[in-house]
Amino acid sequence: MKNWPWLILTPAIIFVLIGLFAPFLMTHDPTVQDYKAILSPASWSHWLGTDYLGRDMYSRIIGGARTSLVAMVFVLLAALVIGVVIGSFAGYVGGRTELVLISIIDIALALPSLIIALALIGVFSGASWSWMSDYWKMIIALTLAWWANYARMSRAVVVAELQQPYIEAARVMGASHMWIFTKHILPHVLGLVVVYASADAGALVLAIATLSFLGLGVAPPTPEWGQMLVDGMSYIEEFPSLVIIPGLALTAVVVSFNLLGEAFALQKVPKAVRGGLLRRKKATRAAEETARAATEAKV
Amino acid sequence: MMKLQRRSFLAATAGLTFLSAFPRMVLADGHDMLKVAIAAETGDLDLLQNVSTLSSYTVVFDALIHYGPGGVLEPGLATAWTVADDGLSISFDLREGVTFSDGTQFDADAAEWNLKRWMGVADFSWIGISAAFGSIIKDAPNKITVTLTRPVAAALLELTIVRPVRFLSPKAADADGKQTAPIGTGPWIVESYASDKTVLVRNDAYWGEKPSFARMELLVVPDELARANGLRAGDLDVIGGDWVAPLSPRRASALKTDGMTVVAEPGTATTILGYSPKSPMMQDKAVRDAIFIGVDRAAIAAVLFEGYADPTVNIFPTTVPTAGTRGEVPMRDVAAAQAALTAGGWAGDASGFTKDGAPLLIDFLVSDESFPGSRRIAEMIQGQLMEIGIQCNISSVDNATMHDRRPKFEYDLTFFATYGAPYDPHGSLGASFVTAADTGPDGKIYVSDDLDKVVLAALDAGGEAREPAMQAVYDWISANTAACPLVVSQRIWAVNPRLKGFGLPATDYDLPFKGITLG
Repeated sequence: MKNWPWLILTPAIIFVLIGLFAPFLMTHDPTVQDYKAILSPASWSHWLGTDYLGRDMYSRIIGGARTSLVAMVFVLLAALVIGVVIGSFAGYVGGRTELVLISIIDIALALPSLIIALALIGVFSGASWSWMSDYWKMIIALTLAWWANYARMSRAVVVAELQQPYIEAARVMGASHMWIFTKHILPHVLGLVVVYASADAGALVLAIATLSFLGLGVAPPTPEWGQMLVDGMSYIEEFPSLVIIPGLALTAVVVSFNLLGEAFALQKVPKAVRGGLLRRKKATRAAEETARAATEAKV
Repeated sequence: MMKLQRRSFLAATAGLTFLSAFPRMVLADGHDMLKVAIAAETGDLDLLQNVSTLSSYTVVFDALIHYGPGGVLEPGLATAWTVADDGLSISFDLREGVTFSDGTQFDADAAEWNLKRWMGVADFSWIGISAAFGSIIKDAPNKITVTLTRPVAAALLELTIVRPVRFLSPKAADADGKQTAPIGTGPWIVESYASDKTVLVRNDAYWGEKPSFARMELLVVPDELARANGLRAGDLDVIGGDWVAPLSPRRASALKTDGMTVVAEPGTATTILGYSPKSPMMQDKAVRDAIFIGVDRAAIAAVLFEGYADPTVNIFPTTVPTAGTRGEVPMRDVAAAQAALTAGGWAGDASGFTKDGAPLLIDFLVSDESFPGSRRIAEMIQGQLMEIGIQCNISSVDNATMHDRRPKFEYDLTFFATYGAPYDPHGSLGASFVTAADTGPDGKIYVSDDLDKVVLAALDAGGEAREPAMQAVYDWISANTAACPLVVSQRIWAVNPRLKGFGLPATDYDLPFKGITLG
């Protein structure tokens, strides 16, 4: 663990912790308006000041972290599940089914995810979808825009693993498709997509903020960083803190997740993990051999 | 040595004198040019197409009648007009000696050609005088009479609007009548048009008071902050105007602090919270009453408009004609709002109300794209309504979705704005409160069979009958809480201090240049 890039991970870890414990960290209700305290500077009662409706900026930043974290986790989980299921199925089944599914994946990948999400939110803006909150519309739209990468990766891993001799051996031994997939292939798929997902988290936080910045994401009064940014833009000349504070929070989290992704890409972190695993495996094997030698000596 | 030094000194002095004059010579153009910011490009200024920005037409094209301050009708291309007692004909004395900027004479023939391009044409039936058009009679080379099939009370006001009623040179159209160039009789001539700027030069043959400077540039600056910085840097002389280059109250305050001249005057358009007449929730008058009482108009004006708006309960401000008697703006009263709900059969308190098991949950449709700043107003109102116990979901949508849902009344609450001068009161009443009116994507504020009768009667009423008929409309809307007027935002402009004599034009559709002298 000492090889982990802790410094660059700190903002991401703080983000996750703040998101998890937000209700205990907020000093005010982030939605309550106080017209007597509009645009107040930082003080003991309002640590980061107040916004144009007198709402506590500190509590809104904390609340915004929770909003982004929850949305990010939902989208990543859903996109990962959809992507892994479709991609793995395509790779495992092969043939025409694979061709059709790969074509769908290619079409989804041909367009930028944010554009797809914007288009889907446009579709969900119709009156027939008014029963659903903007927050869930955004999560669904982002999920449907985000799954294709995971599907493509999953399919590639499945196709590669299917060529391995141990899969053929398992088949010869009469293992079922489900057993082969869950026991031999899925761990490899998850190993890759989970790593990719952790690196993708920053892009997703940014996408959530972008949609809110455009007024198409999280609906008021829920605090959200992108929304805070766009609301603060009108006051940027006289009260730049309204933009700087959410901007810094967003930048720190996105940069942190991106560096984490880079670390994974450069295999800094996996190396450390793999080294630990190898050491543990070696230790276990050595213990087993010692035990076997002892047993043989007794015999 | 001494002689050489003196010669050098003289030469240097002469050189410096020339150099000091040089920038003035170079800048002479700038000193004789007004640079006005516009938020969107002017377009080709086709009078029959709804594509160009309205404000740009007003400096190039004249109307028969001009809309003056306070709604006073002023002579334009017509020096006098007479409406027949039965309202079925209007005679115009055309201004003599007027030429279009291409040299074509303005006379009865040119007037007839222009009027027939839109009068009696189906596309322009939204204009009362066009829908009721009968014929045009040329009484003399400089006198025409327009006959109507029925009286149109707002006929003269309609002739002051921007498009399509203004006059184009008959030579600036092809054989099919399609406009080929923006040639009018106005004080300015289009010298060049590009997507980033339009250059205008003074029409020295203009019949009215000529501008004091020779050139005017309309520079396209879509971003408000960039416009403000352009003004500070001296790259722009004038910014502002809702239909030109909107200036927010916050930005105006910042510019004022920086020494720019900020001019604000009472506006002519009202921001209104519209209740969907098709929404079951909003058909309940108790809910409408509760919202009407529960909204804090004074706070909206003070906090979000920073004092550059006036709270109101009237559909129209006093800056438009026949705006009706003034209603008293109520103090926000949470208890009274809750009492109104209880009286209407709703049960609950600040934590929420229900009726027959259904919660009081409102869909608030908002689009910052189509109505800048509306999401923040909605957010404030949401907070105020939640204190009453009215839950409110803000649906923030794009412009296209807003224009799709609003005409279908697919919302509970949404924002509207009246058109302002010179289109009101007849424009907004006829478009936004009449069931049969075709307003396209703009939607309607409120419609009902009963209201139709009252509004149509008012729109047809002329002479002395007009004011009481208009008042009947306002009374009906008020008695039925058919709309929730919020504020009248002020008209805000900011100008470079080098400008002298700046005054706001009569409407937000006009570009300011009259009376301005450049320092």
